[in-house]
Amino acid sequence: MDRPSHGVQLLGSVLAALAIAAVAIALVTAHFGPTSIAERELEEQRLEQREETLEERRELREERLEQGR
Amino acid sequence: MTDTLEQLIEDVTRGNVTEVKVVLATVVMALAVYQLLLAAVGYGWLRVPFLASAPALWTHRASGDTIAILVVVVALMCVGYYGFELGDDGGTHAVVAIGLLGVLAAKVLVVRVGGRLGRLLPLLGVSLLVLLGITWWTSAAGFLGIA
Repeated sequence: MDRPSHGVQLLGSVLAALAIAAVAIALVTAHFGPTSIAERELEEQRLEQREETLEERRELREERLEQGR
Repeated sequence: MTDTLEQLIEDVTRGNVTEVKVVLATVVMALAVYQLLLAAVGYGWLRVPFLASAPALWTHRASGDTIAILVVVVALMCVGYYGFELGDDGGTHAVVAIGLLGVLAAKVLVVRVGGRLGRLLPLLGVSLLVLLGITWWTSAAGFLGIA
């Protein structure tokens, strides 16, 4: 089997290195998943917002109940 | 100064310091294994029909430069953010990492100087791979739930 040209060998070996790096990044990132600090902060913000909305609704309901009495 | 570096690391990684460090360390580890294969082809210990010695050594050098930069970046992140401690938990990691940086510096020096010292390159390269492996295992592997 004839070897590819020098340039093709260079390009191929460099591309293989890039592919190895990309696979390593993808595997580790997938392992961490949505547990990054940014994601967690976003989730916390959503939770806080939901709690605030629930609290507001509860207060409104209590006000309405008091007005009805 | 330490606070500034700590803040910079946190800003650049958007608070995901450990995650970014583990990703970079794993990329270094994966490339280091590839380096071993390239060196084996380059020195003629391993013969493959699609890659000759010269391009293998060229890519070995280019990939090695990238690894050296990544190792320094990870080390700076590690010491700059987590500090330096030789306690029970991080003792092995810190000692092996210092050894790793020492061997890395020695290898860069040998490559630059060349000559008869070049005979040490395979030994230094294998030592680097082993030290990288231990450093990765004592830190990143734990975060990935492997160790």
